[in-house]
Amino acid sequence: MNYMPGTASLIEDIDMGIKLRTFHFRGRHSATELNPRPEKHLVLLRDGRTLIGFLRSIDQFANLVLHQTVERIHVGKKYGDIPRGIFVVRGENVVLLGEIDLEKESDTPLQQVSIEEILEEQRVEQQTKLEAEKLKVQALKDRGLSIPRADTLDEY
Amino acid sequence: MDLLGDHEENLAERLSKMVIENELEDPAIMRAVQTRPVLQPQPGSLNSSIWDGSEVLRRIRGPLLAQEMPTVSVLEYALPQRPPQGPEDDRDLSERALPRRSTSPVIGSPPVRAVPIGTPPKQMAIPSFSQQILCPKPVHVRPPMPPRYPAPYGERMSPNQLCSVPNSSLLGHPFAPSVPPVLSPLQRAQLLGGAQLQPGRMSPSQFARVPGFVGSPLAAVNPKLLQGRVGQMLPPAPGFRAFFSGPPPTTPPSQPRPPGPGPPLQTLRSQAPMFRADTTHLHPQHRRLLHQRQQQSRNQHRSLNGAGDRGSHRCSQQDHLRKDPYANLMLQREKDWVSKIQMMQLQSTDPYLDDFYYQNYFEKLEKLSAAEEMQGDGPKKERTKLITPQVAKLEQAYKPVQFEGSLGKLTVSSVNNPRKMIDAVVPSRGEDDETKEKQVRDKRRKTLVIIEKTYSLLLDVEDYERRYLLSLEEERPALLDERKHKVCGMYDNLRAKLPGQDRPSDDHFVQIMCIRKGKRMVARILPFLSTEQAADILLTTARNLPFLIKKDSQDEVLPCLLRPFSVLLYHLPPVTVTGLLQQLMNLPQSAAAPAPCNPHLTAVLQNKFGLSLLFTLLSRVEDLQSSEPLTESSQSAQWTEVMFMATRELLRIPQAALAKPVSIPTNLVSLFSRYVDQQKLNLLETKLQLVQGIR
Repeated sequence: MNYMPGTASLIEDIDMGIKLRTFHFRGRHSATELNPRPEKHLVLLRDGRTLIGFLRSIDQFANLVLHQTVERIHVGKKYGDIPRGIFVVRGENVVLLGEIDLEKESDTPLQQVSIEEILEEQRVEQQTKLEAEKLKVQALKDRGLSIPRADTLDEY
Repeated sequence: MDLLGDHEENLAERLSKMVIENELEDPAIMRAVQTRPVLQPQPGSLNSSIWDGSEVLRRIRGPLLAQEMPTVSVLEYALPQRPPQGPEDDRDLSERALPRRSTSPVIGSPPVRAVPIGTPPKQMAIPSFSQQILCPKPVHVRPPMPPRYPAPYGERMSPNQLCSVPNSSLLGHPFAPSVPPVLSPLQRAQLLGGAQLQPGRMSPSQFARVPGFVGSPLAAVNPKLLQGRVGQMLPPAPGFRAFFSGPPPTTPPSQPRPPGPGPPLQTLRSQAPMFRADTTHLHPQHRRLLHQRQQQSRNQHRSLNGAGDRGSHRCSQQDHLRKDPYANLMLQREKDWVSKIQMMQLQSTDPYLDDFYYQNYFEKLEKLSAAEEMQGDGPKKERTKLITPQVAKLEQAYKPVQFEGSLGKLTVSSVNNPRKMIDAVVPSRGEDDETKEKQVRDKRRKTLVIIEKTYSLLLDVEDYERRYLLSLEEERPALLDERKHKVCGMYDNLRAKLPGQDRPSDDHFVQIMCIRKGKRMVARILPFLSTEQAADILLTTARNLPFLIKKDSQDEVLPCLLRPFSVLLYHLPPVTVTGLLQQLMNLPQSAAAPAPCNPHLTAVLQNKFGLSLLFTLLSRVEDLQSSEPLTESSQSAQWTEVMFMATRELLRIPQAALAKPVSIPTNLVSLFSRYVDQQKLNLLETKLQLVQGIR
């Protein structure tokens, strides 16, 4: 199986759900051999958000058009999905983009919870993080040191 | 009654009188003779003079219209009025092109569209929309046109010849201008958009004119596309032509070949897959190959899908699309366009230059797998390979931009021709200002620069073998010369001859050897040097070994030199070996002189490299001795003297200080046995641990 680099190999996934694994289904009727759905993709953005949706369009800058997108928030072992609709993502904000294996999708040890619950969990998590950060900064200040924050740095 | 008070019915009459159609009727002209106007319906000659009577114009239009009329179907409602055109559709259209959107050159954005991308098509036949592009219903298919192109255009014409035939277009032109099948407004808009572009632009529409997209998924098509297809593809720009066409054409196209209007896109699909229209002008051999490849890809595609037959595949694909109305928002050609841009990054004229480690690594892997294959007869493991575009050498000459109508040559600053932006002045240093430290630092820097330069030479020389294999017969002597020249250059760099000295000083070489990179470099250079040159290097090293050892204490890189040195030793004549031994052990000139303590030898013996080198050397001596029993008496006397001194020195060294050598040659015992008596031999053995059991 030869592969192409970069976005090029993803382009195949956009509409064709037809994959090699249909080999296994030889016994069945040919109409159901083919995967009737396009590929679901998972996108990780630079601000840490995780989006899951059907990739409809892509261009050379990796600008994406995602259809029926769902923003998935992970906290610990729980996750919650927020349906968002259609997303158009500017390429520079994409960190990574991968295809979701629909068979394995249901195989996770993670537990899905409702939106309100996950948002609450996220808030709690943020708060604890902030407090820990505050303590650390205070401790460093007492010793005369300072760590510059990543978002205030312009250099990469 | 209109404003001027004239009656409206008379207005029309009077207007018609004002415009005199026929010059002959003009009362103002005294004499006029009607002659047949010279009709030259040249391509693009619709810019005929305004003084031509409308008769001429009508005549020009006449014959063309007669042919075009039946095909101009009612369905062209979405098009702006296109006057019937001559054979040169492409040139015509580009003259009438809408003002171009300013996009970046070459790569740019997708073409201007009358209808934005992604607009759901107005017609109901949405799922079959993409299918339509691929296999349109041939509603208005006409029988093949009488060729408007020069007839001697047989099958035997090679693509190169085609380039020079005027008025030729590589895509199947007998079908090109005349068959507009049923097109939806969206498709029309796209065709228009494609037609508007300059030759230099890449766009999906141009890209999609590549024949061979017979509805197969990208996976099947692209490898074919990229692995140097033999088929004729209209190269959208001179720079990219090599990208698509397999055998690079020898003559670059003399005229830019802009794409024609869209219909070929559809017409190609309408042909039965067996016999592709656009291949008629190919050499039959070409066509056969093309056909084969198509079959292959089709088979591949079939096997990929695992579906039984094509028919069921088709209808199930339609099922699939019917269920998902948002599928195929990206047209196949748009997908190809994006992936083409991605693949462009992988284009390289010299992969060994751009991607050295990648190439070598995969070569190694392949060798490994090939070796494994040879051993066991297992099934061939399919390794996933990265698909890279095969590209012939692109034109490399930089041609500065020239402006028309300017007086003199204007210089345009570009990447190939940069302009000086800053006037930076480097203050020159005065000689007296330098302090001692600065001098030392500068000297070291100079040595580093010399090492770098020599390294580049070395890399080039190492690469020669590969180049040699790739080059043609005529080029080879030139390559050899170059290589020799470079090798000499390297040697000169190492043993720089200062003016005023008949013998090059060791200092330069020693400086190089003090630097770790220098040592490694010397180890790599040695195989390329001639024997004398290499021997010279070895002697110098031996002479200065204690100093080098001291400097090497941190790096410990000297042992890398062992291997090339030992290889060299086996080529050296006995005289050199003797001299070398003397240098290495810093033996006094004559045996009779009293032997002071020998720090040189001590240092050598205390160092791993030094000891190993000594042992190798002695082993070589032994080999020489045993292989040449009948030597001249003078030589053998010399030998004996040297060996005597050597053994004496060795005996004197305390054992504890000895380093651990890399390897101990087995023949040293026999060597020493020639020169010393048994007692001393035993001593030597124990000291140097020459006998296996003792350690």
